[in-house]
Amino acid sequence: MLNPKTIDDASIDQRVYQLNLGPQHPSTHGVMHLLVTLDGEVVLKVEPVIGYSHRGHEKMAENRTYEQFLPNPARMDYLSGMIFNHGYCMAVEKLCGIEVPRRAEYIRVITSELNRIASHFIGAMDYAMGLGAITPFLWGWDDREHILDLLEGITSYGRFGGVRNDITREFYDGTRRFIDRLRGRFWDYENLINQNIIFIKRSQDVGVITKEVALDYGVTGPTLRGSGVGYDVRKREPYSAYPEFTFEIPTREAGDCLARYQVRMAEMEQSLNIIEQALDHLPPGPIRAKVPRFVTPPEGDCYCAFESARGAVGFYIVSDGSRIPYRIKVRAPSFSNLFVLTEICPGHFLADVIAIFGSIDVTVPEIDR
Amino acid sequence: MPTAEPTKPLENIRNSLVQVIPEAELLDRDYQECGYHLEVRLVMRGMRRMAREMKDRRFFLETITAVDFLEYFHLIYLFTTYNEASFRVMARVKLLPEVRPFSVWTIYPEAIWLEREVYDFFGIRFEGHPDLKRIINPDDVDYFPLLKNFGKTKFTTDIDDILC
Amino acid sequence: MNITQLPYLKDIYAFLGSDVMSGMVGLLIIAAIVPLNVAFLVLVERKVAGHIQLRPGPMEVGPHGILQTLIDAVKLLGKEMVTPQSTDKLIFFLAPIIVVAPAFVGFVPIPFSPMMQVKDVNVGILLIFAFSSISVISILMAGWSSNNKYSLIGAVRSVAQNVAYEIPLLLATMSVIIMTNTFKMGEIVQAQSSVWFIFYQPLAAMIFFIATTAETNRAPFDLVEAESELVSGFHTEYTGMRFSLFFLAEYTNMVIAAAMFTVLFLGGWYGPLFPGMIWFLIKTYFLIFVVMWARWTYPRIRFDQLMNFAWKVLIPFALVNLLLTAIVLKVV
Repeated sequence: MLNPKTIDDASIDQRVYQLNLGPQHPSTHGVMHLLVTLDGEVVLKVEPVIGYSHRGHEKMAENRTYEQFLPNPARMDYLSGMIFNHGYCMAVEKLCGIEVPRRAEYIRVITSELNRIASHFIGAMDYAMGLGAITPFLWGWDDREHILDLLEGITSYGRFGGVRNDITREFYDGTRRFIDRLRGRFWDYENLINQNIIFIKRSQDVGVITKEVALDYGVTGPTLRGSGVGYDVRKREPYSAYPEFTFEIPTREAGDCLARYQVRMAEMEQSLNIIEQALDHLPPGPIRAKVPRFVTPPEGDCYCAFESARGAVGFYIVSDGSRIPYRIKVRAPSFSNLFVLTEICPGHFLADVIAIFGSIDVTVPEIDR
Repeated sequence: MPTAEPTKPLENIRNSLVQVIPEAELLDRDYQECGYHLEVRLVMRGMRRMAREMKDRRFFLETITAVDFLEYFHLIYLFTTYNEASFRVMARVKLLPEVRPFSVWTIYPEAIWLEREVYDFFGIRFEGHPDLKRIINPDDVDYFPLLKNFGKTKFTTDIDDILC
Repeated sequence: MNITQLPYLKDIYAFLGSDVMSGMVGLLIIAAIVPLNVAFLVLVERKVAGHIQLRPGPMEVGPHGILQTLIDAVKLLGKEMVTPQSTDKLIFFLAPIIVVAPAFVGFVPIPFSPMMQVKDVNVGILLIFAFSSISVISILMAGWSSNNKYSLIGAVRSVAQNVAYEIPLLLATMSVIIMTNTFKMGEIVQAQSSVWFIFYQPLAAMIFFIATTAETNRAPFDLVEAESELVSGFHTEYTGMRFSLFFLAEYTNMVIAAAMFTVLFLGGWYGPLFPGMIWFLIKTYFLIFVVMWARWTYPRIRFDQLMNFAWKVLIPFALVNLLLTAIVLKVV
């Protein structure tokens, strides 16, 4: 897949050498290859090599009907699968002009937010694991198990026009219990990790992304909000049922790894608020609009943006009037977020590269599609 | 559904773009229908000027992609702001095959990877790109996967859409 | 006919009662106990890790997973000992041996109870320190001979770390030694018959504990074997029995370090009710539990922060402590 070329400096200066972090590596989030050029312990250059999990989703989109492509978005970013599913359904509905019933929107929002919490558990705790604290990672998985049990219970993936399954009594009670439980658990994480002096010393002022760099590289998501820019697609271009909920967009000013971690933890609390409001005001009604068997959007194109756990995702769909899309382009936030690594890593230590990479929270299959 | 209303700031952008790239065609689009507010149609020239203008107005480059229409390409650039009045501008560049557009990486460094991806999948080469090589596909393949005359598309084979 | 009248039997009798014999018997006992100890500790580590992480740990093999280490040892024995082609063969072969040998010798002067001590060497404390320094060389040998960038980084880090943390370790020990005026471990314990030294020297005890965690490469100072960065550090290329020798050395070093802490600060075998040896073992294993607890709670320190901490924080404090102890002893 890659033929690494020796960097010219290495032959001139004996101290400079290249290290391959990956593709198989205990701390990279997927099959990810980082070519690091080091001088002793200081990083001179980081070059991410991607493409190890390329499966050709965009090509697949060109010879499947819209319904047949439904499973694919969830496989792109497997940690926010339901959010991608929600977004894809939204994109096709936008193109076709289908109106989705309110109850379905609420259910979509609830499952999306649960998925967001689950993804942030991995994102934040994987960062802690990259630093060497293995325990919070396993605690995070424990909490994730509860979410996955809930989601498995209803398996309410979106379909065009609504959702497939309605909320059951079990799901409703389980989610209520989960919200209460998780609110208590945040204290445990606070004591174990957030206040830990070693954790703070290793995260503060490491990997600072300034607003200028963020603008240059198109960074979105918690990575951006850790640098003080409060850009969240749910608030800027409200979609689905989000306008009816009150929630905040947490930001931190510092722009270092600690700020990004704190943003993720704060976002989990906000997601809990959204789920609670949605459960409180769940409207009755149908869960699926009447949609033709084969969705045939009119000719034209459409770009639909939504917020996944990693940043602003966009589905750009070009239709030629048939039931098979002409082109679907997925804008993956991890693609842009990963490229920032080349800008902010030089000058740090090797241990920091792992920390920064963990704090950016990249999902490699989303980059490769 | 409430949405970001295009008001004064959009007018400003429209006017400045008219000044910067007089040869472009500007279309106002309905955000509810297609997800972007302004469409700028260019024919092969003017992208760098537009990118410079967008950068000055604090837009970030959301994505660069291409659509293959067999006789020509549409190269699509999407710009969005971080600001409160958030809206989206799309630039559509009509490219004939074998034409090499200019790279915008000096203005938006993110374009280095985005243009590599477009090259990797469509074969569109960018003029002035520092490191134009494959990014997602293996390094040594000689095809461009997303072209319409490659692989299984409705132009090459009969696609039987099996009911799911 | 008296047995002592036969000339050759007299020599055998003299030999059997001599120091050499007791030394050999002691070493054999150590050689038997150390692997058992390690087996026990590996299981304890996994169980402790499991419970801290809200899961039960190994449960399959034996009741509550007690036989887990036995099965792991059998598995490791069965694995092929692969020697990569481009390694430096002799050093690659010697490194695991040299890392294990000092660990065995370190048990010699440790007084488990007034009578259970292989040999109360005159310079007991110094003996243990001297031998633990040898293991630093073996880590460097392992990292270098593996011919692998990751191993080399791990080995180099380890040498710097070990050298840096030996100094506060020695300074903290000196604070105790100038109070007791002897290097013999048995006498140091006897000097604590009324009050344990940890109450006289709390700062030295803390410095000793931190420095010894760093010397044995345990978290939060375990960047030598930082899994998330260097895969496995200096023992990446070792497989099978050689890998288990490194593990053996690490856990044995932990026990020796905990035993030293017990002797120097926690009063060795003194304690009500139970016989001396039981108290010694209780204290030692409690310390090991604390070290394991710290491992699963804290993230890892970065290398430059580690060195800063040793040179700029621990050594000055240890020096000040030593000075204060000397002044107080002179005045009082």
